[in-house]
Amino acid sequence: MNQKEFIELLLPCKDKLYRLAKRLLVSSDEAEDAVQEVYLKLWKGRDKIENYRSPEAFAITMTKNYCLDRLKSRQASNLKIVHSNYKNPDSIERKIDGDEGVALVFKIMETLPEKQKIIMQLRDIEQFDFNEIAKMLNINETAIRVSLSRARKVVREKLIKQYNYGVS
Amino acid sequence: MELAKIETLLDAYFEGETSLEQETILRDYFATNNVAPHLAAYQHLFVALKAAQEEVLEREIILPTVSASKETKRWWYGIAASLLVVIGVASLLMPSNQLSQEEQDALMAFNETKETLLLLSKSFNKGTEELAVLGQFTESKNLILK
Repeated sequence: MNQKEFIELLLPCKDKLYRLAKRLLVSSDEAEDAVQEVYLKLWKGRDKIENYRSPEAFAITMTKNYCLDRLKSRQASNLKIVHSNYKNPDSIERKIDGDEGVALVFKIMETLPEKQKIIMQLRDIEQFDFNEIAKMLNINETAIRVSLSRARKVVREKLIKQYNYGVS
Repeated sequence: MELAKIETLLDAYFEGETSLEQETILRDYFATNNVAPHLAAYQHLFVALKAAQEEVLEREIILPTVSASKETKRWWYGIAASLLVVIGVASLLMPSNQLSQEEQDALMAFNETKETLLLLSKSFNKGTEELAVLGQFTESKNLILK
């Protein structure tokens, strides 16, 4: 596979890979680095890519694995992940509206376990079929639905709690 | 879209039981401005999910160019190899009658050597002719000394 074919086949999913990486790594800088790394890996293994039924699904699996590895090594090196705290007292007083509400949803999603984050990202944002997600993550469809439901309910619960604070 | 249907879809959504089409209906409903007040909190969720799709990678992906030049190099090797084959076959099929300087020198040397050797051999032959007399001498001697 030459560079032109590679680009035509795999570059269209770069934004999806980036969004997944950012959902997991939070920092956009790190997510950009991750996507670059994943493309280098894909490029090195380009002769094998043609054998995979869906190069996009393959790239997504690779990105997921790469980001989870990054998170693991981050934990190993005892680097503390500083989550932007959505229970910031300033924002509680304010009425949530527009972009603030959107930002709140993303902050809530940051608190989800990795697996739920990935599933919610792939389903609710990238809108993949359950069977596609099942192949990408190597989990069965029922387990995916269960995880997804759990994730959505957590978001709902926290969102409503925060929303009621905001309006009262 | 009637409210009751949206509420049913919402319940199914949180159970993980909606299809992609149903989820699109929900997203579209919450993208409008006439969301029922008691569902207002959910609007943030669906607006956020829609907004998240818009995010794009700003940095350009860099692929190693070394490999690309390697590929062109491989091309050149191929061209060079096939040229060699063509030349080889051509020289076999059309033996040239034009000799190189070296070959001409060698040919000249060969001819000169041949001439010299011929001359030498002629002289030798002359010597042999004269030796024939000796044969006669032996014959006469045999007659006498028998």
